Amino acid sequence: MKKFIQTLLIGLTLSATGCTDLDVKVESQYTNSNFPDNAASYAAIIGPLYTQLSSKFAIEYWRMQELSTESSIIPARDGNYDDGGVFRNFHYHSWNADFTYTRDVWQWGFGGINSTNRLINLFEGTPESATKKAALAEVKTMRAYFYFLMMDLYGNLPLVDKFPVSEQPKTTSRDKIFQFIESELKSVVNDLPLKTNANAVQFYGRPTKGMAYAILTKLYLNAEYYIGKPMYNEAVAAADNILSSGAYSLDSDFNSLFSPNNGPSNKETIFAVPYDALLIPGNQFTRFGFTPFLYLKYELQFRPSIAMSTTPEYYKLFNLKGDKRTDNWVVGKQYNFDGSPVLYATTAKALDNNYTGTDKAINWHVEITPDLTLVPGKPMDVGNDILGQCKGIRSIKFYPDKNTLATTRMNGNDFPAFRLSDIILMKAEAILRGASQTTVAGVPSTPLDMVNMIRARVGAEAASKIDLDELLNERARELAWEGWRRNDLIRFNKYEVEYPLANDIFKMDKNPQRRIYPIPTTEMKLNPNLVQNPGY
Amino acid sequence: MIYSILLRKGKKQFLLFLWFLAFLAPGTYASSLADKPVKGNVKDEKNAGIPGVNVRIKGQNVAATTDASGNFVIKTKSENDVLVFSFVGYTTKEITVGNQSEINVTLEVDVKQLGEVVVTGYGSSSKKTITGSVSSITAANFNVGAIASPGQLLQGKVPGLNISRSGDPNSEPSVILRGPSTLRSGAQEPFYVIDGVPGASISLVAPADIESIDVLRDASSTAIYGSRAANGVIMITTKKSKSGESRLEYSTYAAVENVSNKINMLSGDQLRQYLKDNGQSLTAANNDAGANTNWQDEVQRTGYSQNHNLSYGGGSTNSTYGVSLNYFNNKGIIKTTSLDRMIIKAYINSRFFNDRLKLSLNVTNSNSNGNDVFQSELFGNMLTYLPTVNVFRPDGSYTEDPTRGGYLNPVSIINNNTYEKKRNDLLLSGIAEVNILKDLKYTLSISSQKNEFKENIYMNNLSNLALGLNGKAQRSVYENTQNVIESYFNYDKYIGNHTLKLLAGYSWQENRGNDGFGASTRNFYNDALSFNNLYLGNPKVLADVSFLDKSISTLRLISFYGRVNYSYDNKYLFQASLRKDGSSAFGANQRWGYFPSFSAGWRISQEDFMKNLPAISELKLRAGYGVSGNSAGFDAFTSILRYGSVGKYYSNGDVVNAIGVVQNPNEDLKWESTSTTNIGLDFSLFNSRINGTIDYYIKNTSDLIWDQYPVSTTVYFLPTITANVGKIQNKGIELTLDASVVKKSDFSWNVALNLAHNDNKVVSLSNDKFKVNSIQTAFLGGKGQSGNWSQIVQEGYPLGTFNLWHYMGKNENGVSTYQKADGTVVASQPLTSDYTIAGNAQPDLIYGLNNTFRYKNFDFNFFVRGTVGNKILNMTLAALNSPADAKNQNIPAFTLGESFKDINAYLTSDRYLENGSYLRLDNATLGYSVKTNANSIKKLRFYVSATNLFVITGYRGIDPEINIGGLTPGIDNRNFYPKTRSFLIGANILF
Repeated sequence: MKKFIQTLLIGLTLSATGCTDLDVKVESQYTNSNFPDNAASYAAIIGPLYTQLSSKFAIEYWRMQELSTESSIIPARDGNYDDGGVFRNFHYHSWNADFTYTRDVWQWGFGGINSTNRLINLFEGTPESATKKAALAEVKTMRAYFYFLMMDLYGNLPLVDKFPVSEQPKTTSRDKIFQFIESELKSVVNDLPLKTNANAVQFYGRPTKGMAYAILTKLYLNAEYYIGKPMYNEAVAAADNILSSGAYSLDSDFNSLFSPNNGPSNKETIFAVPYDALLIPGNQFTRFGFTPFLYLKYELQFRPSIAMSTTPEYYKLFNLKGDKRTDNWVVGKQYNFDGSPVLYATTAKALDNNYTGTDKAINWHVEITPDLTLVPGKPMDVGNDILGQCKGIRSIKFYPDKNTLATTRMNGNDFPAFRLSDIILMKAEAILRGASQTTVAGVPSTPLDMVNMIRARVGAEAASKIDLDELLNERARELAWEGWRRNDLIRFNKYEVEYPLANDIFKMDKNPQRRIYPIPTTEMKLNPNLVQNPGY
Repeated sequence: MIYSILLRKGKKQFLLFLWFLAFLAPGTYASSLADKPVKGNVKDEKNAGIPGVNVRIKGQNVAATTDASGNFVIKTKSENDVLVFSFVGYTTKEITVGNQSEINVTLEVDVKQLGEVVVTGYGSSSKKTITGSVSSITAANFNVGAIASPGQLLQGKVPGLNISRSGDPNSEPSVILRGPSTLRSGAQEPFYVIDGVPGASISLVAPADIESIDVLRDASSTAIYGSRAANGVIMITTKKSKSGESRLEYSTYAAVENVSNKINMLSGDQLRQYLKDNGQSLTAANNDAGANTNWQDEVQRTGYSQNHNLSYGGGSTNSTYGVSLNYFNNKGIIKTTSLDRMIIKAYINSRFFNDRLKLSLNVTNSNSNGNDVFQSELFGNMLTYLPTVNVFRPDGSYTEDPTRGGYLNPVSIINNNTYEKKRNDLLLSGIAEVNILKDLKYTLSISSQKNEFKENIYMNNLSNLALGLNGKAQRSVYENTQNVIESYFNYDKYIGNHTLKLLAGYSWQENRGNDGFGASTRNFYNDALSFNNLYLGNPKVLADVSFLDKSISTLRLISFYGRVNYSYDNKYLFQASLRKDGSSAFGANQRWGYFPSFSAGWRISQEDFMKNLPAISELKLRAGYGVSGNSAGFDAFTSILRYGSVGKYYSNGDVVNAIGVVQNPNEDLKWESTSTTNIGLDFSLFNSRINGTIDYYIKNTSDLIWDQYPVSTTVYFLPTITANVGKIQNKGIELTLDASVVKKSDFSWNVALNLAHNDNKVVSLSNDKFKVNSIQTAFLGGKGQSGNWSQIVQEGYPLGTFNLWHYMGKNENGVSTYQKADGTVVASQPLTSDYTIAGNAQPDLIYGLNNTFRYKNFDFNFFVRGTVGNKILNMTLAALNSPADAKNQNIPAFTLGESFKDINAYLTSDRYLENGSYLRLDNATLGYSVKTNANSIKKLRFYVSATNLFVITGYRGIDPEINIGGLTPGIDNRNFYPKTRSFLIGANILF
């Protein structure tokens, strides 16, 4: 009642004044007027760069880089996982400019670039200080990184380095984008922190000198393909900056790099995309890349999908004696940790659709088979009987996370985007491709010794000689499912090698113009200044 | 501006007047003389006595009412007393008593108030002289049944008002007037004005308390409500006491509800047989227990409702008051669902200073407690859960397979989860009316409304929705408030044949919503505390405690409005209005909008040349044009740049909120505006035995607001923006016909029919700044179809246009085949590029037909309604019809007709797009009025009623009446509350 009388009084007053004020207070949200205004809020406002990165890095971006190669495949299972043919399009390189991944990843990447531009604009308006310098270096490195990811996928891009922009940006050729990334990284690398044992937690998942040089190493190693100019000596120099810094060393336990508990304690990781089963969504390796038949063995709270596996061809590359990396593939008859067989109660008919005898209950010893024999006439479909569900080798490299909830199915394993063994293999490759050998304390100087250093860590037999083809195979073993296969195959001119599946009704589109993805149709419509990539 | 001058001038007068009254008020007591009775009779122009005329002594608290023959007796105190005779529809007459002891009076019909009165914005008007399109429904014509929401009272009764409801006691029906005209969900509802309070909560009104409902349909009627009126305005008038009467009324009913139809799923034995016949068996993990569980029966029950409405009131010469109490209780047909509601309403109106000042105060409070279930989880599983297992395993635990995502024991969903919804609505409104001059009236109306929402959820340690959490509790409480001030002047002048009515006003409104919080925690020692003590949970990690993400949203609306009505000889009628509206929801550059309207009417029947046609008792041609706006359905801060949590990130060992831009700003965001042209004809034939109305309208909505306009992330923060772009057109024709077929003293038969046809078309979705060829909507998912849409919003097509694969029948192996875009036919899943336009969800015709019979003391009524020509996508059937899944889940009897080899049977195609036409016998009621000689009982009626007696339809789903609101109408997607049939017995007593 008191409130009513109050309203009445206010009402009388207002009607007397004929109030026309339409500005209302925003009480429970951050807007331009109240954010950011102090050190903590400036720190929080950089956060979206990392949430943006983690949101699509380990699923959508990863699929763009891996599903288009022989390293991984999501076959349909009696129509399930056909999903309008998206996974087929990856496998057969048959995507077009309407492809949803092309659109989503473009929006993701430019969302990230746009955020960096906005933050740079914001920070440039603040007074000069050490904090400002560090923040600008951090944000500009992230911008260069997003541009690197996008340039690798799409080649030619609009170059946007300001916010807001008044005009729709024009397409800039790949070499100009390359130069932009290179010069940006060089200009800020001295302002970036060097990782040390003391600051490993503080700069985990954040740009460091090591990360900037890692991007530069990738740029230079691929320069011959990217811009038609070999830059292998520059690649070696950039790698040496990392190797000589003393900040990184190979972790003795290879699997610890990818486990649910990985993090700043890993000495080898240069830049990781952190994930958390409960709080930071975006990693679903166990949901998609594992099998429901082993969920009890790994104490999971949910049954994973039957979706993703590797191909027999890729698995064949794991042919080294003693190589612990091979054990991360799940194949063959399955046994529990106590050695007992993993059994699955089913019926003969449910196990095998082609079974013609009288149906009977059986206790099947679960077996994962490498071959992806397709059901005749069905598009990239291996069938959905239990044998079909068990076709395709699964991976536990990103080891199943017990904390994964059945409702969200998110892993907590951080994704190492750059790590030392990649740098070492890149340096070895650059030398094989003609760069001069250099000497750095703690790292062998010949490609053969460098490869053997990588092999020794996982107990694999040493190589007696190394050539480019074998180096590519070593990268396949060392960096399996780490998001580099497409990049590697293109550099080695092997992206168009076809791996037909039994009963295949489709063929791969071997046009090399598919080495870059199309500019999404939606984006072409929104921005008439863009030029579509050739071949689309 | 005329109205601002008026406002200024009036304000000064008003203040002076108040000051003047303050000094005069004490001192008007007359000295007491001996009472002298005066008797008399009040007649009409035809010399017939008028019952119920109010006779009072001017300025005193003495009054009487005429009896059935028009006779009255009143005690006077002085020869100077003036008797005032007043009655609705007649001119008030004043006579000085003098030395007369008998006074006979003849009252004349008030030409200003020709018969039936309709409530319009900021005033009322005679039905005969309005120029807009308005439908009025009085209590006698309301729908009967266990009705919780006033919207249901009108279902099928107003042409063009398309109402669909579910059986869920906790949900409001969806209402659309004259076709959908927006792309935003939650923005198609009409604007409600309850007893003059704009935007009041419809849930505040007990259906039994409503006297009449007026539906303002065209823009010339609604434009006075400006920006909120594009979807039509529904004016609700509640029952009021009259001066000099004392009234006590009690009405009650009790109802039984049953599920009227259910999907025929297989029994355990049938499923086992089907699998056996096809050489299949249940997947072993499903653990066939040899059971025959009917899961639908397990979770459904007979529903009961009861309603009690007690109202009383009265009035002296200068004051009227009333109180009503309403109690409604509904136990829904899904176990544990219920709604329990109490509404208390009280008002007092008083007149002072020879009626120069009228003050009224209304207080209404509605308190409801509901219990709901997790519907989306329950309704799917109630159909698909395997009938071959028992509810419980032999050890007493619920049969569950937690590893199958989303496959949940339906009985466990009900028994182990509590979902309580509480709501309290309070409305206070005060109105002061001052007759400043004889013809000039000032009204100040102030209202304050508070809605409080509480939701309490507890998932216990057996809950399949919170596995392994040892109990999860969530509580939330949010409050919305609305304060409205309306301040306006009415000037009504009658000079000879000229009638002039002017209105000028100002309105200020502020809505503040989402003020509150919600939190959840988990891991309790036992389930004893339910959701009652969050503190005693034992969250293990930070993520186990969460807070609901809701922001306070404040919306302010300020308006200036004016209206002119002029009529000559009650024959030529004109009206013009203008409203200037400002809303804080829009971009800084576009906050103010103008909403004009013009209309004219010609009462042809008043012309001399019509006098020769006595068969035509009334004929009026109306035409109007007006613009109204729509700003509902989006957050009040849609136009500004906002930051929010965009997720969490790793920062120096912790996982913290990242604050980023969550909304692209749009400083040019403005009103969605709807211009309506309406032409109508009202007619009345054979001494008003037949009454009818025909309306034709063209409704053009432009600057459509859509929140998903794609923009380039090279320029904007986010890939979509909320902007004004498109245009939608609705064109239609509406007819109402009301006929007294038989009208005898002890038998009458009345028929009322209404028909509405509407053509909806999306005219444009692009402008020079934002472009989109089509908008894909209705992403229904389904096996292997995630990311597939099933409706498309496209220029040239109506909203609700289906975009589906074309089914081509089965091939020789019994496998479903589909047509590809290139014309070839495949027996595999096609691509979305093979979609075709497959019809739409908009009906061609909506109709309602009511028949009322009276024979002596009996009355009988039946009401039929339905739609013609709309399509429904039966996703329920599509999703269930998967023969191969019979190993893992139940299938409907329908699937028995499919080959087990048909691996494509479930694909969402036009095979499942069905004709949604129906005819429903919505209600039949038989009543008996007891004639008593007891003076104290004025009316006593008993009745029995049945709702939803039958439906005639070709639709294969549970019921063809499905949601027609929102952007994706006409989709039956496995999550709607079953339809019910109810039987009801009730009584009304008026003392």
